[in-house]
Amino acid sequence: MQKNKFKKGFVAAVVLALGASALAVPAKAADKEILVWADETRGPNLVKTLAAKSDWVSGYTIKIRTFSSFDALKTAVDAATDLTGPDIIVGANDWVATGAKNGKLAPLTLTAAQKANYTANNFFDLSYKGKLYGIPLDINNVAMIYNENLVSKAPKTFGEMVNYYKANKDSKGLVAGLCIAGGGMSWGAHSVFSALGGNAYVMKNGAVDANAKPVSADFVKNVKALLIDPATGKGNGFFPASDTGCKKNFLDGKVPFAVVGNWEWTDYQDAGFYLNLMPVPGVKAGSNGKMFGSVSGALLTSYAAKRGNEAGAKAVLTDFFGSAAGAVAYQKNELRPPANKAAAKGDLLTAQVNFGKASAAAGIPQIGAILNGTTGSKSYWDLLPAFWTAVLTDGKDVATEAGKLNDFLTKNIKAGVADL
Amino acid sequence: MLITKRFSYFAKVILTAIASTILIFFAQSALAQGETQIALFLFIATAAIIITYLTRVSIPLKFFLPGMLFLFAFVLGPVIYTISMSTFQYQTGNYISKPQSIERLLELGVISDENAPSFDVVLGKTSIGKLAILASNSQIKRYFLSTKDEITDLAPSELTLDENGVAQSAPNFTVLNGADRSKLDKEIASTRFKYQGDFFIKLEGLSAGLINQQSLFYDSASDTFKNKLTGATYKDNGRGNYANIDNPSEILQPGWRSPIWFDHYKNLVTDPTIRKPLFKVFVWTFTFAFLTVLTQFALGLLVALTLNKPFFGRRFYRSIFILPYAMPSIMSILIWGGMFDTEFGAINNLFGTNIAWFQNATFARAAVIVVNLWLGFPYFYLVTSGALQAIPSELAEAAAIDGAKPRQIFSRVTLPLLLQIVSPLLVASFAFNFNNFNLIYLLTGGGPTNLLDGEIAGATDILISYTYKIAFGTNIQNLGLASAISVIIFLIVASISLYGIRRSKVLDSFK
Repeated sequence: MQKNKFKKGFVAAVVLALGASALAVPAKAADKEILVWADETRGPNLVKTLAAKSDWVSGYTIKIRTFSSFDALKTAVDAATDLTGPDIIVGANDWVATGAKNGKLAPLTLTAAQKANYTANNFFDLSYKGKLYGIPLDINNVAMIYNENLVSKAPKTFGEMVNYYKANKDSKGLVAGLCIAGGGMSWGAHSVFSALGGNAYVMKNGAVDANAKPVSADFVKNVKALLIDPATGKGNGFFPASDTGCKKNFLDGKVPFAVVGNWEWTDYQDAGFYLNLMPVPGVKAGSNGKMFGSVSGALLTSYAAKRGNEAGAKAVLTDFFGSAAGAVAYQKNELRPPANKAAAKGDLLTAQVNFGKASAAAGIPQIGAILNGTTGSKSYWDLLPAFWTAVLTDGKDVATEAGKLNDFLTKNIKAGVADL
Repeated sequence: MLITKRFSYFAKVILTAIASTILIFFAQSALAQGETQIALFLFIATAAIIITYLTRVSIPLKFFLPGMLFLFAFVLGPVIYTISMSTFQYQTGNYISKPQSIERLLELGVISDENAPSFDVVLGKTSIGKLAILASNSQIKRYFLSTKDEITDLAPSELTLDENGVAQSAPNFTVLNGADRSKLDKEIASTRFKYQGDFFIKLEGLSAGLINQQSLFYDSASDTFKNKLTGATYKDNGRGNYANIDNPSEILQPGWRSPIWFDHYKNLVTDPTIRKPLFKVFVWTFTFAFLTVLTQFALGLLVALTLNKPFFGRRFYRSIFILPYAMPSIMSILIWGGMFDTEFGAINNLFGTNIAWFQNATFARAAVIVVNLWLGFPYFYLVTSGALQAIPSELAEAAAIDGAKPRQIFSRVTLPLLLQIVSPLLVASFAFNFNNFNLIYLLTGGGPTNLLDGEIAGATDILISYTYKIAFGTNIQNLGLASAISVIIFLIVASISLYGIRRSKVLDSFK
């Protein structure tokens, strides 16, 4: 009797379990829904412009999944699988090399007419081993602005800015002369590095010159002359080794010159500053520092093909992200300079357009294969801040530290060019 | 009584069914994602639950089963997986499986002819229902209908053209609407529409076609790739990539996770770029764990001894000294991080110094020990307070009668007895601090690292933070190597823990 009861219970449990689990089949995304992943700022703007308007690509609905931050998006991208991954990722250009190597991104090819809407630098950023993995979306760059309440006219040389700082430091209570308010001490500070004669890599005829020395003897001379206090051997206070507090200090009138990012120009405008955007002036009049004019991209994933959405996803990329109409609609909300040249001529705000022009005038592509030190060497992103700290804070010998920096960058360039 | 029995039996069946349902649901998800091992474990767990709770196979198992399942899922499973991954070339570029890699390489081996014209296309079906494109290039005045098997040139007079000269319809061709196109997406994306010779038209989206050819071919018999355009042959190099047989450094990407057995372990010893930083980190990890336990125990004991005798306000002090232990350590670490800030930190301001605490190796290490002392001494204060209470006061009194001074009583009576009681906890604390990732990651990030001098590991990096850097901290994620170091850490910590367990004789009670 007891044995029979257990048998019945066993069967009942199995039947109940199987029955219930059959009802609870894992949810799958709708077949003809194009899934786009984006960060916390781009996501909501894509919802307004891409997802809300159904006629960009007929026959498909578009769903935007917004992540709480850029880092959260990156974590999700790293963890994505064939079933969970999106069709399109709106992400950073330096995800391209890794995504391609890991088989998470898929290539696409543009027609000549579509390519003509972008500069060659934009494609550098989103390509790996000669294949393009996405559509350039918005330009990420920095530019220098100066406080017109302190400085009456635009400086023509780097030395002019240093002289102003030295002459007015005490009387005007300046805490620094030039600081990095946007982009950090490697990405944002490349414009200063370059203005003084250094480079992450040297571009020649639209390609990286693997034989050129990235950190020149002139750079050492210029850093010693313009940034170092001979009495202490450390930084003279004009250019701090850290970006901490820079934005606040500039807005408070304690720093006359600042390198600002194009994603936050409204903060300066709202605080009453005129956006006199300019590149960081070089040591010689007429020269200037090159900045990274990189683009974020709408990247095609390999998951799109697995989900049976490849053709639709490519159509979204070319017909919305790659079209002037789509770019203008989106950038009216996002307020960044569009990468699409035709869109830059559209109905956008002056600062957006001017940042775009600054990038075109003094921009270099951001080539992840070189900058990320992916062959095992140190990355440019870590090395340049280490250099600023070594010479400006620790007072180490400029020539020695610049030599070490040059050696690492040279290794990265050679390895990166081979990996391109 | 009968009703209660029936109710409990009914409840048991329902609860078992609910647990089984949940597990089978997760197993289905795991299967759908290709995680067969996880799915297998979940099915076995389901069977174990049903058999254990609905039969009388073993009464003790009814109590142990949940713990055993969780132990396997969250302890043994990850350990086995980590050991397994440490024998693989598993890093950026070697992430997917070999069949996936071959599939991706074939797709990447399609080359677009950049000088060839592109075509505006309209998707549709032929009169016999074949997927076809109506292709137009108004500049070269070329119009044709193409399926995967044949191409038919058309004259503009046969077509309906729009204002840009793009053909919109043709005889015997039915245009697909949006819904039809979306249904056929997979077919549209994968079809190679006939062009001429080896060339074919591949759609880039739904309205543009480009001329392409396949340059990379796979031969499954010899497991090689051949590039038709360059003539290069690529062979499996045994490390998860197809490499050019004439130039082995030229590899095709993406590669795959490939077994390399004990190479990571060998590299830990033979590769100086791995061995040197690892040795430095290894020494500091032991030093850090030892100094931490020593200082925390010493201060905890000192406080316990001080508060062991009655005096005014003792209760207040007892509460105060427990506070650092009660506060979330993450918050404390971040606050201490701020206090050690060179410019704005309270410590430099208080002492009138200008020390760059986290930029100098010695100061950073000192800061790490100080912060960990703050976080950990209340634990030893609590432990030693309790242990002191357990030591009979008669022993100290007898020693005093024999003429022993207080210092002698402490060093020859109290401390040896105390160490006997707390030594398993000292060993456990050593093992815990050996893997104290939070403190290092949040306080110093493992730094300072003198990058320009070629340092890879930071001055305060311990093994676990260094492993994290190798696995996730840089653009190259070497998960295989990180797994090998994790296995070494596991062996060390397991040995220390085993020693602690044996010393405490905690398992003796099970004999």
